[in-house]
Amino acid sequence: MRKFFPVEELARDERFHTVTMKERMNDARTIRGDTKNANFRLTPERRDATDGARGLMHGIFVGEIQALEGAGRTCWDFETGSEAPFELKLDMARQCWDEARHVEISVKLSDWMGTEIGSYAENTVLFEAACSSDPVLRLAGVNRALEGLAIDVFTTMKEFGNLAGDPYLEFCEDWMLADEVTHVKMGSDWLRKVTEKDPERRKKALEFQSIVDKLFSYGGTRSDSNESPIGLARRFRELAGFTDDEVESIADVSMQALNERKAAVKKMLADADSFTSAAAAPSGAAASSGG
Amino acid sequence: MADPHKARAPFAPWDRRTLPGLFDVEESARRVGNYKWAEMKLFEALGGWVATVPELDVKMRLGTHCYKHAWHAELWHKRLPELREMNPDRLTAPANDAMVRFVAAMTEPEAHDQTIEKLVGVYRVYIPRFIAAYTYHLNATSEITDAPTIRTIKLILQDEFDDWRDGEMLIQSLIETPDDAARAAAHQQRLETIMIEAGGIAGPGSLGS
Repeated sequence: MRKFFPVEELARDERFHTVTMKERMNDARTIRGDTKNANFRLTPERRDATDGARGLMHGIFVGEIQALEGAGRTCWDFETGSEAPFELKLDMARQCWDEARHVEISVKLSDWMGTEIGSYAENTVLFEAACSSDPVLRLAGVNRALEGLAIDVFTTMKEFGNLAGDPYLEFCEDWMLADEVTHVKMGSDWLRKVTEKDPERRKKALEFQSIVDKLFSYGGTRSDSNESPIGLARRFRELAGFTDDEVESIADVSMQALNERKAAVKKMLADADSFTSAAAAPSGAAASSGG
Repeated sequence: MADPHKARAPFAPWDRRTLPGLFDVEESARRVGNYKWAEMKLFEALGGWVATVPELDVKMRLGTHCYKHAWHAELWHKRLPELREMNPDRLTAPANDAMVRFVAAMTEPEAHDQTIEKLVGVYRVYIPRFIAAYTYHLNATSEITDAPTIRTIKLILQDEFDDWRDGEMLIQSLIETPDDAARAAAHQQRLETIMIEAGGIAGPGSLGS
């Protein structure tokens, strides 16, 4: 088995279908109108709440598979001692077990919510962030950025379970949330420890984390605003070792992404309007002349 | 109530533990170093394989077992300084070159359609060898002087038996044709040949002599 496994070769059974981040965000079915300051937060009041929650749960499920694969590869890809500390690899092995359990939980919850494996497409961008050749960059990208996003997702989903009167969902999300806080803390602790005497490497890792954070804020899916389906779980992020400045920085990037998306949707709708007007004008003229 | 001042035997009549053991401190430490190396190689391989197997149930089991073997490596890592090896890395070593070749051969399969080979290497060859070496250590070492190692082995053996059963059941569920059975047997034979040369997890003498 080679070191460093390409994302294109991730092993899946016949039920899975992969799409890119760009394809997912450009899917016309997911484009939201430009309703000013609309509340898109995933709550039971949303008209599409059932499908939204199912889709999010399937996203959690495939995300957990990739997180499991990413942590597993960190156990294998780096030589113990010379490339990664023994204790860091032990933490990654522990994360493997946690993520495997999360896959189990997600499968059971998906079934509970009436979804089958493969009902939604899989976006493999999470594993891509786990492919860096530097273990510290992996920890920054996966444990801090992506597992940080998982904290936001699980908090939103837990609240959804609470509001929807689904204690089964709320119970499971809360357990997974506890694990995610642990994983983010692992990332925060190792980042500080391994780069203690290497500020350049730390800077590079934090830059990489920022890129992944921005990527996962793409389309404004997660932000403090209710216009984003997923909120920013500030308190749990603090527990996981994020500083106030870091949380603010993620909040800014997320809000920027939301505004970019709103501007893009507005432009798209304006373009569509002018296209409709242009198409309507000649046909109207022809009708007049014909009459 | 019995008189609390009456002299009692230090060892109760049902406590039949004895002092003699076959291993001195150095020998126990050497074996523990081999165990740690072998468990490390196992958890690394299990973690690496997760991304390469398409079967979802196998993927999840490998992830779960990966941690158990990492924990075993950690237990042995902590035991080494208690056996007078203050630099645990010094004794964290394969029993011999054949053991290195065995691990290389066991971790060779990568393709999506080689789940049987991956599982056979671990659950039909490697883990049974762990069970054998640990059981021998358990039975051979001093029940009193090396009690901490015995306790660790007992904890680990429970995992090994559980994982062996999980793995064996997965293999049986994947072997559907005589050709599959032949593939499994051929791979097992290839690995067993190297393992015989290695002599077991702790080298020749893993099961005594």
